[in-house]
Amino acid sequence: MRDVAVVGAGMIDFGELFEQSFDDMAERAYLNALDDVDKEISSDDIDAAWFGTLDIAENASSGLGLSHPTGLFEMPVTRVENACATGSTAFRSAVEAVRAGSADVALVLGAEKMRDSAGGLIEGASLEQVWRGRGVTMPAFFGLRATRHMEAYGTTREQVAEVSVKNHENGAKYPHAHYRFTCSVEDVVDSPQVTYPLNLYDCCPVTDGAAATVIVSEDVVDEYTDDPVWVAGSGLATDTFQRGKDESLAGFPATRQAAEQAYEEAGITADDVDVAEVHDCFTITELVTYEDLGFCETGEGGAFVESGTPHLDGEKPVNPSGGLLAKGHPIGATGVAQVNEIYEQLRGEAGAVQVENDPEYGLQHNIGIGRDATGSVSCINVLSKHRP
Amino acid sequence: MYEPPFTRDRDANERLAARECDACGWVSFPEFRDICKRCESVGEWTDTELEERGTVQSYVVQQRLPDEFETPLPLAIMDVPQTSGGDPARVYGLFTETDPEHIDIGMKAEADFRRVFDVDGLPVHSFKFKRPRGDRL
Repeated sequence: MRDVAVVGAGMIDFGELFEQSFDDMAERAYLNALDDVDKEISSDDIDAAWFGTLDIAENASSGLGLSHPTGLFEMPVTRVENACATGSTAFRSAVEAVRAGSADVALVLGAEKMRDSAGGLIEGASLEQVWRGRGVTMPAFFGLRATRHMEAYGTTREQVAEVSVKNHENGAKYPHAHYRFTCSVEDVVDSPQVTYPLNLYDCCPVTDGAAATVIVSEDVVDEYTDDPVWVAGSGLATDTFQRGKDESLAGFPATRQAAEQAYEEAGITADDVDVAEVHDCFTITELVTYEDLGFCETGEGGAFVESGTPHLDGEKPVNPSGGLLAKGHPIGATGVAQVNEIYEQLRGEAGAVQVENDPEYGLQHNIGIGRDATGSVSCINVLSKHRP
Repeated sequence: MYEPPFTRDRDANERLAARECDACGWVSFPEFRDICKRCESVGEWTDTELEERGTVQSYVVQQRLPDEFETPLPLAIMDVPQTSGGDPARVYGLFTETDPEHIDIGMKAEADFRRVFDVDGLPVHSFKFKRPRGDRL
């Protein structure tokens, strides 16, 4: 199998982009990614593309959804849909194809129009299935973990809120973030209740966005950059709480499985991860993800964030970009943008949110909802400054 | 038209009918698959029925929902035992007639047969949970 490197990353400013169409966003993210490649790259160099979108606003249900805005016709385009792990799964799929030799230069493009339609997710989640998902909205899926985590481990409401405070602090410095304000623990716990125990500031916004990444094989990497970031490992797993495992009541076994795969492939442990972009659709999601990824022991996520370890200037910075809570969560673009952030962090090009621990390994993580369960899918990609 | 998914699921929705995996004891509910989600074997199954009472494993209180739902709406992950013993089924439980202040992890809740919502003007029936009458505050 060949080694694979990231050589270009582009995104657009995330936000309420009513003035931009799906194609406007995708085109700009793609051009930004090409511009980002150190040495010259042309669209003719691209052999194949992977396209991540849930197509919530229905612009893109075939590969043409990528070809049309980018002009990349007459080549394989694979559309990937994997709930909130759509972007990271698209990246992983492209990496596997380049590794296997079916392409030398591949584009990963993730895009989502979240603001163009008002219905969608909430109605589907609440009404579609009588027993399995009835009346269960996104904040409920995750809030169930929060209630249980607080009961089982004595995690405090304030510790959960700390995640939001941290990520908004980072997001305020991050140029592409949807929300660029800071908030206090009091602001979070006093914000309007959405689904007890989660309040408004525990929830990520509804955000439009697009992001693109260029990856290449070891055979051609020198043509594009002298400073590649290598893909070290990846993991992907599914789960449902209906299997009756108690650990799924306060955590996400799918993340544990995906992390085990990714760490093994990269030949590292959780201790080697220097910076991470993880799924924080809600504050509690990031807090339990610290535990699921092995950054701290089970039950200690609250103390971990309170200690400052995952802060920008901490020992193990998590979500330097502000995460989904501040940056936003345009589903298909989310994982791709996280990969891009890790790429910039490892190259030392992350600007105002550059971590200071001279990172060698960076991890990107998404978890998704599907059918009846949160944590129904988890995808993790590990990037490295060093060739595996 | 009564939609096919609700027709298929009527036994589970309206009678709390379930099946137990003979190999590992996992309860398949509200589905009737041949492959066990816990031991992953293509096992033999025994028909079983769930009790109309369960235990709250975790809960939330939803404040913002489409108009079809009452709010605030407590919602729990419930362990619902089989009438014949063995492992419980783990399911979502919508609550009704329950003060959000009066729901807690570990509490017992009774299942009540209710109309949950309408599809094209026809009612879909299933169970909702509430505090047992004797424990009502």
